[in-house]
Amino acid sequence: MAVGVLMPQAGISVESCIITEWLKKPGDNIDVGDILFSYETDKASFECESTAAGTLLEIFFEDGDEVPVLINVCAVGNIGEDASALRPSGEAPAGGGEAAPAEAARSAAADASAAEVSPAPAAIAQINSGEMKISPRAKNLAASQSVDARLASPTGPYGRVIERDVRKLMEQGGASTSAAFGVVSAAAPGSFTGTGIGGKVSVNDLDAAYAAVPASAPDAPGYRDAAFTGIRRAISKSMTVSLSTIPQLTHTFSFDATEIMSFRTQLKEKGEGLGLPNITLNDMILYAVSRTLPKYPELNAHMLDGNNIRYFKDVHLGIAVDTERGLLVPVLKHANRKSLSQIAVESKALAKAAQGGSLPIDDMQGGTFTISNLGVFGVESFTPVINPPQTGILGVNAITSRPREINGEIKLYPAMGLSLTYDHRAIDGAPVSRFGKELCESLASFRLLLV
Amino acid sequence: MPKTQFLDPAELRKPGKIVFEDIPVNAYKKTITQEKKSYSNDDFMRIFRDMTYLREFETMLNSIKTQGGYNGLEHTYPGPAHLSIGQEAAAVGQAYLLTKDDFTFGSHRSHGEILAKALSCIEKLSDKELMKIMEEFLGGKTLKAAQSLYKGSSVKELATYFILYGTVSEIFARETGFHLGLGGSMHAFFLPFGIYPNNAIVGGSAPIATGAALYKKCNLKKGVIVANAGDGSLGCGPVWESFHFAVMDQHKQLWEKGKNGGMPILYHFNNNGYGMGGQTRGETMGYDMLARVGAGMNPEQMHAERIDGFSPLAVIDAYRRKLDILKKGDGPVLLDCVTYRFSGHSTSDANAYREKEELDAWMAADPLITYRADLVKANVAKDADFDTIWETTRDVITKVTRLAADPEKSPYISFVKTPGIVESMMFSNEKVQSFGDRKPEVLAPMKDCSRVKQIAGKERFAYKNGKPVSKIKAYNYRDALFEAVIEKYYEDATLISYGEDVREWGGAFAVYRGLSEVIPYSRLFNSPISEAAIVGTGVGYALCGGRVIVELMYADFMGRAGDEIFNQMAKWQAMSAGILKMPVILRVSVGSKYGAQHSQDWVALPAHIPGLKVCFPATPWEAKGLMTTALNGTDPVVFFESQRLYDVAEEFNEGGVPAESYEIEIGDVNKLRDGGDVTILTIGATLYQAVKAADILKEKHGLSAEIINLHSMVPLNYEKILASVQKTGRVVLASDACARGSFLNDIARNIGELAFDYLDAPPVVVGAQNWITPPFEFDADFFPQESWILDAINEKIVPLQGHVPAVSNYAPVEQLRRAKAGV
Repeated sequence: MAVGVLMPQAGISVESCIITEWLKKPGDNIDVGDILFSYETDKASFECESTAAGTLLEIFFEDGDEVPVLINVCAVGNIGEDASALRPSGEAPAGGGEAAPAEAARSAAADASAAEVSPAPAAIAQINSGEMKISPRAKNLAASQSVDARLASPTGPYGRVIERDVRKLMEQGGASTSAAFGVVSAAAPGSFTGTGIGGKVSVNDLDAAYAAVPASAPDAPGYRDAAFTGIRRAISKSMTVSLSTIPQLTHTFSFDATEIMSFRTQLKEKGEGLGLPNITLNDMILYAVSRTLPKYPELNAHMLDGNNIRYFKDVHLGIAVDTERGLLVPVLKHANRKSLSQIAVESKALAKAAQGGSLPIDDMQGGTFTISNLGVFGVESFTPVINPPQTGILGVNAITSRPREINGEIKLYPAMGLSLTYDHRAIDGAPVSRFGKELCESLASFRLLLV
Repeated sequence: MPKTQFLDPAELRKPGKIVFEDIPVNAYKKTITQEKKSYSNDDFMRIFRDMTYLREFETMLNSIKTQGGYNGLEHTYPGPAHLSIGQEAAAVGQAYLLTKDDFTFGSHRSHGEILAKALSCIEKLSDKELMKIMEEFLGGKTLKAAQSLYKGSSVKELATYFILYGTVSEIFARETGFHLGLGGSMHAFFLPFGIYPNNAIVGGSAPIATGAALYKKCNLKKGVIVANAGDGSLGCGPVWESFHFAVMDQHKQLWEKGKNGGMPILYHFNNNGYGMGGQTRGETMGYDMLARVGAGMNPEQMHAERIDGFSPLAVIDAYRRKLDILKKGDGPVLLDCVTYRFSGHSTSDANAYREKEELDAWMAADPLITYRADLVKANVAKDADFDTIWETTRDVITKVTRLAADPEKSPYISFVKTPGIVESMMFSNEKVQSFGDRKPEVLAPMKDCSRVKQIAGKERFAYKNGKPVSKIKAYNYRDALFEAVIEKYYEDATLISYGEDVREWGGAFAVYRGLSEVIPYSRLFNSPISEAAIVGTGVGYALCGGRVIVELMYADFMGRAGDEIFNQMAKWQAMSAGILKMPVILRVSVGSKYGAQHSQDWVALPAHIPGLKVCFPATPWEAKGLMTTALNGTDPVVFFESQRLYDVAEEFNEGGVPAESYEIEIGDVNKLRDGGDVTILTIGATLYQAVKAADILKEKHGLSAEIINLHSMVPLNYEKILASVQKTGRVVLASDACARGSFLNDIARNIGELAFDYLDAPPVVVGAQNWITPPFEFDADFFPQESWILDAINEKIVPLQGHVPAVSNYAPVEQLRRAKAGV
C-alpha cells in the first residue's frame, strides 16, 4: 500500500521548510534511509531520508516550495498504486498547471521571469560548491571565447555543461566583464547585448539595457520580483523586530592594538611549534569579551518582554558569519569557561559549519551576546543591530593609525575601533561605558588577561 | 563434392574387409663391410665427423646453461636449450641425402637437424655456390666473422665455421645470428641450405611443412619436404590434420595432369620415447609403435616404417627408399625413427621420470661409440683417427663459441641505436603484383566464366535514377570479393585458394561461385575440415614464396586454428628478421542466424596479436578495394566478412564500385556521411544500424551525424577519426562484437587520450551483450540496433528530447552491475 513521507520537523519552533532539491524522481526505487530531497529552514539545511520503501509514486511539492512540517511531501508504494489519497488537500501534482499555495502570493509576471532565470543560479551554485560538471570541449570553448561557463545552463547528461550550453550562452550574450558579472549572472540569459571587447557585456551595456527596456519591450519588465526564502526571510523578520521595538543606541571606543598585534605576530611565528591553533585578533576579542561580560550581567541577558529580563550565568557568544545564504549567527557556548585556544578552534569550526550549510540548529540558538566583525572590510565605525532578545552586540571595526602625544612628541599607533549597541531598557549609558573601557584596557594589555 | 565421382551405393554397401600391409620395424640389417659398396671411407668418416659437431655443439650449450661456461670460457645464456644429445645419428642420417632443394622443418629440439642439414649441403655444394651464399647472407656479416676464425683456403671448412657461428650467435640472440638473434634456439633456420624454421610449438611444423609441400607441388618445384617432430606431437590435432591434408585423395584422383600425385612430404618423428616427461609408449599414447598410425591414414599406409635412429646408416637407407617414393609422386611418408635423448627435455629437467639404468643402457648404444667401434672393426679407420676428429671438432666449437659470446665482436641488436628494429619487421609492407615465375594456369579465359558475364550485366551502384536497384540486378558485396580474387588468379600463378567447400559450392556463401569453371583443381580446392591445417598450410605455402587465400567459413572457427593464426601466421615475418614473407589472406565470415557458435565478431582477437593485419569491409566498394590491396601485399591479413552483408549493394560510394582494379589502403577509414553534431564509428554490419540511427537523429532531434566506417583495425590511421571527433566533440562506436574486450574499446581509449580537449562527452562503445548469441529471433535483444545507438547518445552524450529508451540500458548503475556480474 502506498504511504506518504512527511516533511520532518527540524526543530521545535520550525513551522515550515523549503525544499531545496529533489534527489529522487517519480519512478525511482526507494529504500528506507535513501535521501529523497534536501530542504532548509531559515537557519540550516537538512536532508530528508525516506521512511518508506518502494517506488516513488508521486511528488507533491517541487524544488523551492515552502512546505509545512509533518505533511506528506511524496508518496512511496508499488507501481500503479493510486497515491491521490495521500496528497495534502489542495495540492495539485507537482509540475501541474496549478500554482502551489506557497507560490500563490507571487504575481504571474514574477513567476514567468523566475522560471526563465532559474537555471543560471543553479549553475553558479555548482561552481561555488566546487562540483561544476563541464565537458573538456565546453570548457575550452568557454575559455577561448572568454565566456563564463558558470552562466551556462547544463543540458548534458548528469548535469554536465556541454558545448551547446556554452554556445547558447554566447548567442545570448553570456560573456560579461567581471564588473557586470553579478548582474548578468542573476539575469535571464540574453537580457543584455554585449558591446565590450569580444562582445562582452559591460556595465555600460547594463545601463543601456535598463534604459531601453521600458520603451522597447513593455511585456518584459526591467525588474524581477522574488520572494524571500529561508534565511533571508528570518533576517528580515528579526531586524524589523529589533529596530522597531528596541530602544537601542551605540557607543564607539577604540584601543591601542599594538599589544594584540604583536601577540598575534608572535603566535603566528611560534604558535605552531608550541602546538597552538591559529589564533586571530577576532579570537582575542571573543576571549576578552567572554572574560569581561560576566561583570555586566545586563549585557549578557535576554529581554523576556518589556518588563522582564533573564540574566545568564555563562556567556554564550553569538558570532555573526557571512555565508552564501545570508547572515548566520552560530553560538559559542560557555565561552567564559573556555581557553583562548579552545575559543580559536571552536569559533572557526562553527564558522566553517555555517558557511558549509551544515550547522546543527542547536548551535544557532541560545546566544546571550553577539559579536560582529566588519573590520576585515575596512569599516571604521558602524551601528550593529541587536539580535533580539539579546541586549547587546559588539561591532569590531578596522585598525587605523592614530596620532598620540608621548613626551611632547606626536607618534602614530594602531587603533582598533569597537561599536557597542545596547538595549537602553536593560542598561544605561554609564555602565555600558564602563564595560567598554574595561574591555579596551583588557585588549590593550591582552597578555595580562591571560595570566 | 566433385560431380565426376559417383558414390555408388552398391559398392559402398557391399561386405568386405580392410587389409593392412605389414609395417617394417627396424628392418635394416647391413654391416659396414656390406655397405662399403655404397659409401667410401671418407663418407663413413664424414658421417662420424658430422655427429661429433652435433654432439659437441650441444655439449657446449649444456655446459653453458648448467656450468656457466665451456672449455675455459665463462659465459651464461638465459634462453631456452632443448637439447638432442643422443639423437645425432637420426639427424645426420636424415640430412645425408638431402639437398638445398629439399626443405627441412624442425621442432623445438632441432639444433642437430639444422647443423646436419647444413653440413650435408656444404658437402654437396660447389665452392663457388657456397661463397655466393655466404657473401650474400646479411651483407656478409656472418662470413666476415667466420673468416676471422678460419684463415685456411678450404671453402667447405670456412662454411662449417660460418654455419656453426651463425647458429650459436642466433641462439645467443646476437645480431650476427642467422636472423639477428630474433628467432633464437627454437626458431632458427637458414633458407639458402633449405633449412626452414624450427618451431617452439609442439607439432607446429607439421601443417607449415605440409604447406611447403603444397608449394612444391603447385608450383612444380624441385625437392621434397621433411617435417621433423617428436613422438609427443602425435597427441596434437594439427599434426593429424596435416596428415589428412597430405593424404587427400584429390591429389592423385582430381588434380590436373602435371600436378596430380602424392604430396612430396616426409613426416619424420624422432621417437625418443618421451613427450617432455610423459612416456608416449606405455603412458600417454596407445599406438604401441608410432609407425602404426600411418596404417589408418590412406591405403598406402603413408609408407610408414619404424627405423633405428641410433644407426646413421639405417636412417640413410630408409631415406634412400622413401625419397624415391616421394619423387615418384606417391607421398606422403611417415617415419618412426627410434632414438633417445641423453639430455633432459631442457636443461632444467631433473629426469624424475626415468631410471639411471635406462639412461645407461642407451648410452652404451651411443652411436658415437658403437658406430666408431664398427668402423674400426671394419678397418675403415684407426681408433686414433677418431680422436683427431674429436680434437678438431672441439677446437672449432670452442672458437665459434668464444666469438659468439664476445659482446663486441658479436653484439646484440641495439634497441638504443635502432629502437625501431623489431617494429620495422612486424610487417613487410611490400607490394608484389605476382610471386609467380610462369603464366598462371587457368582452364579458360576470364571472360568465359559465367559469373564474370553475370556481373557484367549488373548495376554497380545501389540506386539508378534515384530508385533502388533490385537485389538480383545489383552488384553486391560477394561480387566485389569475387572480382578482386579472379583478377589476381589471372595475374599471379602462385595464387591458390582453399578451405571447406570452396570449389563447386564456391564457399558456403558463394563468393567463389563460378570460379571452378576457369580455375584448375590445384589452385582452388576443397580441404578436409581441418581448420588448423587450412591455416597452417597457408603459412607454409606463403613462407616458401607463394600467395594464398585460405577460408575458415565462420569466424567462430578461428578457435580451431588458434595456434596457426596467432603463433605462426602472425609471428614468422618478425621472428625471421624480415627474411620470410607471409602473403596469406585468411577469410573468415561473421555469421548470422546460426546461434552462439556461428555468430561472433572476433575482430578483437587477431587485432590483439602483433603481426596480423586485420580488416572488415562493410560495403562492396570497401570489399573489392581491400581484397585487392591484401592480394597485392606481402603481409598476413585476417579478412573479416559478414553474412549479413554478402547481398548488399554499394549505396555510399557515388558511381558505385569501379569495374577496374583499385586499392584501398589497409589502415584508412571510410567516411560515409558528413555531419557536425556527433560522430558514429562502426565496424562491420552495424554500419547499417548506424545509418538508421543517423536518420532518426536528423529527423527527430535535428542532430547531424558523421558516419565513419572502420574497415581496417590493424593498422589503423587515426587522423580522419580524430579530425571528425575534433569537429563534433562527440563519438559513439558500434559493432556486433560483444562489448567487453571489443576492439572498439581500444579505439575509444585512443580517442579519449588523443582528443580529450575536444570531447563534449566520453566516447561511448555500443556492442553486443556479453552473452551467448541467442537464436536469430532475438537478434534485436543481442546485437546493437539503431535504438541502442540512440540510447547511448541520450544517456551518455547528449539527452535527446522525447527519446524513449529501448531495451539497452547505458545507465552507469547498470554498467556497473553488468561488469560485476560478468555479463
